[in-house]
Amino acid sequence: MTSRRTEHSAEHHEVSALIPWYINETLGDRESQRVDSHLAACTVCRDDLAVQRRIREAIHAQPSVDYMPVASLKRLQARLDAQPAEPSVSQTLPAGERSFRAAPWRAWMAATAAGILVAVGLFGADHWLQMERQLPNYRTVTNSIARPQGEVIRAVFAPTITLVELQSILDEAQLRIVSGPTEAGVYSLASNSTLTVRASLALLRQHPTVRFAEGTQADPEPGNAP
Amino acid sequence: MTLPAKNSPKERDSALLVAIGTGDRRALEELYLSYHRRLARFLSRFTSRYENIEEIINDTFMVVWQNAKDFRNASQVSTWIIGIAYRTALKSFRRQKNHAGARSLEDYPEQTVDPTSDAEVNDWLKRGMSQLPIEQRLTLELAYHMGHSLEEIAAITDCPVGTVKARMFHAREKLRQYLPTLSGGASELPVRIG
Repeated sequence: MTSRRTEHSAEHHEVSALIPWYINETLGDRESQRVDSHLAACTVCRDDLAVQRRIREAIHAQPSVDYMPVASLKRLQARLDAQPAEPSVSQTLPAGERSFRAAPWRAWMAATAAGILVAVGLFGADHWLQMERQLPNYRTVTNSIARPQGEVIRAVFAPTITLVELQSILDEAQLRIVSGPTEAGVYSLASNSTLTVRASLALLRQHPTVRFAEGTQADPEPGNAP
Repeated sequence: MTLPAKNSPKERDSALLVAIGTGDRRALEELYLSYHRRLARFLSRFTSRYENIEEIINDTFMVVWQNAKDFRNASQVSTWIIGIAYRTALKSFRRQKNHAGARSLEDYPEQTVDPTSDAEVNDWLKRGMSQLPIEQRLTLELAYHMGHSLEEIAAITDCPVGTVKARMFHAREKLRQYLPTLSGGASELPVRIG
């Protein structure tokens, strides 16, 4: 009898310690089943589970502050520029690229436009193909009918997005609308700053209300595409 | 930089880190932008000063920049980066005398409203969290806010799994003391089980 109590106590303590990860659903199948079995028989752990779930819900309910990363990134870039030498520049890189790396940050930022198709190919190939298949035969995010002047990105936003949210996202990514939305909800966006298209795309894609965002420029670095 | 044609976020992070290890600042920029929001949201739970948040994030990415070439895929890139941020934040918070820059009790004035309301529970939770030792609070946030597994938190905090469990246990116990409505009888609350 004592032995069974001891076993139960040990199991209770071990399972109790796993409850936070049972709640956030990161336990493996075996551990989850172990917790399930114990919960079925232990009212203390069931109560604790309810308390911990409530705490987690409350933590999630607390408002989080979103900050604009561009200004912070620029300060990081300035710190990197102030460093005497870069940590490790591959000797296998072309000489032109190595010398370009030694140039100030702004110089390579300007050069990032040269890598846009890499991002397009890598992060959007599936989207592009799917959109090609699914969208009807009028102007879409992917067709190339008369690009508006300055267009560097095409994007689709959630239909529920408000004007204020849209403007906030565009401000953050330093973009402006030059055309749209089309029948398919596609906006043509132009850059408002020296921020690279790649950086603007990364900023757009952070927002859940941005359903699609791809660059529209051709790849000036042939050979880099996957 | 050449990335796999169909890359998951994990593969993309790994490819970016490899590129950063070769001195590719464009890759650093992309990685920075993809992590900034997550890190800033996490850190904003500990300090209300954006200059502190920015300093921690930028210090983190200076370490990423300087050490990317030594990354050996012993963990996921995200775990590695958040681990660096964790240690940087820990140093930063400890450096500030009595967490002067961190959220303090003064941010959460006493409440006298219905103690069973969500708002009241949230206020008590904030007060309770602010009283936890920083390691316990970070552990709780990593599990409940960031959704990390036990093993990931052990890797992030560079501690044995047992230590993570112990920190979480103590955090839970202390929070119970600060949350009388929760510790006094969970069954009376409109909690959702299952």
